[in-house]
Amino acid sequence: MTQQLTFYIDRDSQLHRLNPLTKIVLVFSFIIIAFTGPWYLLPAVLIVLAIIPLSFLGRIQKEYAAATRKLLLPVVGFLFVMQSLFHPDTGEILLKLWFLDISVGSLRYAFLTASRIFVMVSAFILLLLTTHPSVLMSDLTRRGLSGSFAYVITSTLQILPQMRAKASTIIDAQRSRGLDTEGGYRQRVRALLPLAGPLVFGSLVEVEERAIAIEARAFTSTQPKTYLTEIPDTPLDRTIRWSLVVLTILTVGSNLWL
Amino acid sequence: MALIDIKNLTYQYPITDRPALRDLSLKVEENEFLAVIGRNGAGKSTLCYTLAGFVPHFFRGDLQGTVRVGEKESAESTLNEWVLQVGLVFQNPFNQISGSKFTVYEEIAFGLENIGIPREEMHQRVEDIMSRTGITDLGDRSPYALSGGQQQRVALASILVMEPRVLVLDEPTSQLDPIGTRQVFQVIKSMSGRGMTVVLAEHKLEWIAEFADRVIALQDGKIILEGSPGEVLTSPRLDDIGIAPSRYTRAARAAKEEGLWPAGQPLPVRLEEARQGFQRIIDGH
Repeated sequence: MTQQLTFYIDRDSQLHRLNPLTKIVLVFSFIIIAFTGPWYLLPAVLIVLAIIPLSFLGRIQKEYAAATRKLLLPVVGFLFVMQSLFHPDTGEILLKLWFLDISVGSLRYAFLTASRIFVMVSAFILLLLTTHPSVLMSDLTRRGLSGSFAYVITSTLQILPQMRAKASTIIDAQRSRGLDTEGGYRQRVRALLPLAGPLVFGSLVEVEERAIAIEARAFTSTQPKTYLTEIPDTPLDRTIRWSLVVLTILTVGSNLWL
Repeated sequence: MALIDIKNLTYQYPITDRPALRDLSLKVEENEFLAVIGRNGAGKSTLCYTLAGFVPHFFRGDLQGTVRVGEKESAESTLNEWVLQVGLVFQNPFNQISGSKFTVYEEIAFGLENIGIPREEMHQRVEDIMSRTGITDLGDRSPYALSGGQQQRVALASILVMEPRVLVLDEPTSQLDPIGTRQVFQVIKSMSGRGMTVVLAEHKLEWIAEFADRVIALQDGKIILEGSPGEVLTSPRLDDIGIAPSRYTRAARAAKEEGLWPAGQPLPVRLEEARQGFQRIIDGH
């Protein structure tokens, strides 16, 4: 019941202390640089010289490595193999496997695609591991994001685990009344209705009550809001953000103008 | 002038065919503790929602008559203004957690953030209300990792921190165990002791007898009994409207039918009053 849907690791590090917006800018500039960079090794350089050092800076290298191993490597590995086998051949052919050829060109392309995806997912993992969702949302609301939108995001993170718990309670309750939830497909589909019904209708009632509860606390008040936690935005943050923006523009530009 | 003044209130929810409240008039004085009883569907919750401004601002529907609290009239205010003077706590503690905050401390501050209270003052008010509701040690916990009684006190604190003039409670303990019930009532009692006006819809008659200054009984959206807890809660008419009197009242009534109950001794609602009466029987009046 107490489980929450966040990846956040509570530690004290320079990366944790950065303003959430700085980290978001970091994520997107990395992605843009990796996808538009003029050199096929650029994403790999980004991984080695920026992403891995950042995971150490944030003191979350272990968690980052674990997420990479479990989540990222299987996907990226699969992508690499498929791309090197099926990308149209260019350049010298290195290996012939029945009707499939692996060429220098296809290998290079596969490597580029895989490392791009690697950068993209890694950047998000770093953000999520070092930024608490409520801090992220409250900083973005302060900068003009709609309060209702932020509410939808943070409350989803909290309420999904609760709904899962409730679903399993309903399953137990219906089973104890003799509902057969195992067996062939037909059986299972038939069993779905008595499970989904209470969950959906129960949730609708809850939504109304929760709406009353947050209205009772002036959620839709038109007064300017204040915020409990202070989220620092230092000159360092601004420097980093602007440097990243400049770097990104240069990378995109080098692709267009060179 | 009464703090709360409801005049000739008739209200019907959308897509229903009969009114939930009919021509109801009610005054509540400042610092009064009013209890509302009635069986399910009698209009208790609707009355609570009306006092708290959710009827008609949230539920819409057709409202006649006027609801005044202090200087303001409900129909002429917005819900956001209204909730600052009338706070509402209802049954299900779980559904009153905003869901957007990850700790109890943040959860309580949620309302203050919404109305733009400066940070310094926010901390002060949150800490103050946490100590008054006895949840200071829960500050860092997730609001979902609490027992029902704790959660309901968090919900109470989240409303009280906004410092409303009136606290409206719609069966706040109906989903709690006896310990949680006692803790929640202790908070309500202490708030009432500090001068807050309280309107409480509740089934637990013994608790009502302990706290309330006045009791009204609703049936089909009308007030059919009104008076002191001693009068209303022991009235024979309670059975007619489907409310079971407390076990102490029933025991004393049985004694009365046997001709044993001392003349002039009022019928009890709570244990202590019952003990006095039965003591007099034993002592031979």
